[in-house]
Amino acid sequence: MSESVTTTGSTRIWDLPLRLFHWLLVALIAFSWWSGEEHYMEWHRLSGYGILALLVFRLWWGFTGSRTARFSQFVRGPGAVLAYAKTLFSPSRHTADGHNPLGGWSVIAMLLAIAAMVVAGLFAVDVDGWESGPLAYWVSFEQGRSAAEFHETVFNVIMALIILHVAAIVFYLAVKRMNLVRPMITGRRAKSAEEAVEDARWSPAMALIGIVIAAAVAWFVSTGFRF
Amino acid sequence: MTRTRTLALAAAGVLGLAAVAGTGTLASAAPSASTVVATRQANYKKMGAAMKTLKDELQGSADKDKMVAAARTLAATVRVQNKLFPDGSGPSSGVKTDALPAIWTNRDAFNADMQKAIAEADKLVAIAGSGDKSAIIAQFKATGATCGGCHRQFRADD
Repeated sequence: MSESVTTTGSTRIWDLPLRLFHWLLVALIAFSWWSGEEHYMEWHRLSGYGILALLVFRLWWGFTGSRTARFSQFVRGPGAVLAYAKTLFSPSRHTADGHNPLGGWSVIAMLLAIAAMVVAGLFAVDVDGWESGPLAYWVSFEQGRSAAEFHETVFNVIMALIILHVAAIVFYLAVKRMNLVRPMITGRRAKSAEEAVEDARWSPAMALIGIVIAAAVAWFVSTGFRF
Repeated sequence: MTRTRTLALAAAGVLGLAAVAGTGTLASAAPSASTVVATRQANYKKMGAAMKTLKDELQGSADKDKMVAAARTLAATVRVQNKLFPDGSGPSSGVKTDALPAIWTNRDAFNADMQKAIAEADKLVAIAGSGDKSAIIAQFKATGATCGGCHRQFRADD
């Protein structure tokens, strides 16, 4: 069915900062997992601060980025989600620009889970009282241990969301014949002739401000606000 | 009548002796594996909390009294720990423990590690109130290194 769609060029759906955010997050989550497992805690903390900076940037970009990056565009009500869910198994391409109504909530779930992970890590204390997050001095040893246990639990939630995310990508490829990975790399997807859609536009100045804010927040937190 | 009474008394005596013998056995036996595991785990938590206090203070206001108290807790507690690994209190006891069987198969190395930890903790107590922050940090690290060294060899990675 997709063959009948005449493609005339392409359109940009993901802006560059959003794609960088996505792939850096992939890399840092993988690195955090590895460094945590291997007890390279200095690296693990640095990786966590990197993820914190990415989250802060994504929050900023959700209000200032290109239209597909904005929460107002992709966070939809239950009606839109249900309507979209009903068309899920139809092989036809949809023209959703950016996150679809279901995927939007998966983004929110992912961001919340990763935020919970980071916050728990900031307060976590290891079993020896030897390694800890930069804000652990605000809590007792027992509370820090609880934070560490919560940190481990949330990791499983994130793993489940990642598996769901990858499964959805495979599903779109197999059932809807849509490659979602390429646009997340190149930023562009094929555009049919009848589609009137503009390239996603973004402001480098806004991106720069976001990067400065994100780096500042991560740095202040990393010092435990003792500087 | 007297005969019955004698018998009754004898029976009571036997029961009483048995009871005394029973409690005697209980009292002299080593504490159960679950008790000893619970005690040593509680002690390790106490030491973990003391380590956290030292770290927090060394990165913060470096309160002398708090650091000395924490170092004392550490030194006093680590002394007790070596006695809390009797035979039969490892994972084979069925009690949930991260203590590895190597503690009992390589007891001399374990004891040596314990002695090292005690020695370093004592040095930490001696220096904790000195006000010489860099020296305290160095000794804090030396003490922590003895904990970590022993854990790598004798504790399961959770």
